[in-house]
Amino acid sequence: MRKLCIILLCLFYYTFGFAQTDLPQVKIKTLNGAEVGFAQLSANKDTALIVSFWATWCIPCITELETINDQLQERQLQTPFKLIAVSVDDTRSSARVPSFVKGRGWNFPIYLDTNSDLKRALNINDIPHILIIKNGKIIYQHTGYVPGNEEELFEVISKQ
Amino acid sequence: MKNCLIILYCVMSLSAFTQTTDRGHLSGSFDSYTQFYQKDEKINAILPQDKVGSNNFLKLDYTYKGFSAGVQFESYLPSIAGYPFNINESKLINRYFKYTAKKISVQVGDFYEQFGSGLIYRSWENRQIGINNALEGINVQVTPVSFLHVKIISGKQRKIFDRANSVVRGADATIDFSKLSKKENPKARIEAGFSYVSRYQQYTGPDVDFPATVRAAAARLSISGANASFGLEYVQKGKDPSINNNQDLGNGRALLVNGSVAAGKFGLNLTLRSISNMDFRGERDAIATSVPVNFIPALTRPHDYLTTNIYVYNAQAQGEIGGQADIYYTIGKNVKKPSRIGINFSHYRSLQTKNNIFSIGDNAYFRDLSIEWKKKWDNKLSSVLAYHNLFYNKSVVEGGIYDNITANIVVLNTTYKYAAKKSFRFELQHLFTQDDNGNWAAAVTEFNFAPSFSFYVSDLYNYDVTNTHYPNIGGSFTKNGSRFSVAYGRQRAGLFCVGGICRFVPAATAITATLTITFNSK
Repeated sequence: MRKLCIILLCLFYYTFGFAQTDLPQVKIKTLNGAEVGFAQLSANKDTALIVSFWATWCIPCITELETINDQLQERQLQTPFKLIAVSVDDTRSSARVPSFVKGRGWNFPIYLDTNSDLKRALNINDIPHILIIKNGKIIYQHTGYVPGNEEELFEVISKQ
Repeated sequence: MKNCLIILYCVMSLSAFTQTTDRGHLSGSFDSYTQFYQKDEKINAILPQDKVGSNNFLKLDYTYKGFSAGVQFESYLPSIAGYPFNINESKLINRYFKYTAKKISVQVGDFYEQFGSGLIYRSWENRQIGINNALEGINVQVTPVSFLHVKIISGKQRKIFDRANSVVRGADATIDFSKLSKKENPKARIEAGFSYVSRYQQYTGPDVDFPATVRAAAARLSISGANASFGLEYVQKGKDPSINNNQDLGNGRALLVNGSVAAGKFGLNLTLRSISNMDFRGERDAIATSVPVNFIPALTRPHDYLTTNIYVYNAQAQGEIGGQADIYYTIGKNVKKPSRIGINFSHYRSLQTKNNIFSIGDNAYFRDLSIEWKKKWDNKLSSVLAYHNLFYNKSVVEGGIYDNITANIVVLNTTYKYAAKKSFRFELQHLFTQDDNGNWAAAVTEFNFAPSFSFYVSDLYNYDVTNTHYPNIGGSFTKNGSRFSVAYGRQRAGLFCVGGICRFVPAATAITATLTITFNSK
């Protein structure tokens, strides 16, 4: 009976662990133009995923990403997590995103949401806007950035 | 066997349980922008009769597996001063239903879409500027084979709280050649695209040859590798006599070329664009921001400082040739104290010969050279030093007869983080020019208490000609996905960034209250 309980418990977690995400099935693009479904991208299991919405013309967004980027390796050693940044630059400035990212030495995956389809589907009004997704669910979000915001972000991450 | 059956039963019921508790994803937002205006003759502020303007947007979206549906309710009580339309109404204006499967998606209702760079077709929403040309109709997307993606759209454009009296139809195909190769991850990605867009608006005039239907076609190619990319797009638009091109019967043309290279911590991007007679709208007599079919942005560096926002270029859809180059570079091996350089140069001129997109004219419209040095000194102190040199043809960009303007701008932006969650930011700016209104100076001081509070005081001062101060004071409270802010002061039109948020604001003297809420079910 105890065995049965353990098996059932494992199966329970297994079933939950692989529950399909209901996040918007919106496609965003990699820097070389390949389409990726956001729902699939964020259907991570138990590693927290930080999604940061930014643009090349948004100074606070860049400050936030660079602050996180500068502490990335250090923080990931403490608690494993992933970081991706979704640029909402429209075609006025989206062409400059690849060289912008390279020239700043950012080393996390960047995606393009050129017509704001994903930003709209997640009802994000203003940028910067940051989300933490775990097991396909949004567990934290924050709009705007001022120095020190990353402390709250990492507090949430470390509790995961 | 009995145990197996029990387990199987339990698994099935558990699965059913997770299915029933999986209630889908609900996302919503509320966005309110309210201004209480004051009389201010000094800056010729637009003063609405009841001295209040309020734009409000409520949006809800629900996703369950492949299904999604949503609505948008808008309320203008009345619309804020300087908005492209002045109404005092509320309406449930956007609604859609969408089904997405692996190889097909169908959306009915209001949708936003873009073909290529948008030079031929784009529908989008910009609440700050007051553009929403969502198409109400049907949007079908099919991926019959892995390397081909087809979009087919048809519908009527949104025009404020109504619809344009025309039908826009379009088709777009993208072919991904890298999916044709046998390699798992080919080094280079080659993609070609073709678009066709038509707009039919009934014509009841006497001209038997008048084009009631305007057709446009585009072809594009992009090649991208690990460290370099190249893109090309050409658009041609048929006869489209309208109020915007003085009833011109010629074709419209546009060519967009983009190339970028990156190596180590160095990135270079070059964009060239030439356009002629490309104003494309849902209605022949529409002007300004009303019912655009395509998207022709100014390809210059977007700015967000008080002084760099004074002379901003606007693309000339009737004819312009030019381009811009961007260089980004990180200096130094010290990852803890990086020095980041950003250089942008953009230059736009008239066309020498009408309808010839390869002819460079004598009349300069805009030129901007900007150099930005961003330095992190230590964990507490960081600074941005920026220099701009610009040429601005005010007669062309703003319309009218003015002298050209040459200006130099210097910006210093310093942030000092004196505690883990406390910081202050200080900006000093100066615009030097002997033209137009002469010199401007600006200063901003901002105190931030992460993650919730931010306060600022700023002043933009034109001390040469108009002797006008544009002082502002404000603060904001942020909690998770919600933010409330209040500000009081004079504002010039432009992007304004404080407390980590950038917004487009019209010129006014007012108390401004904004509330934005984003909700995503857990």
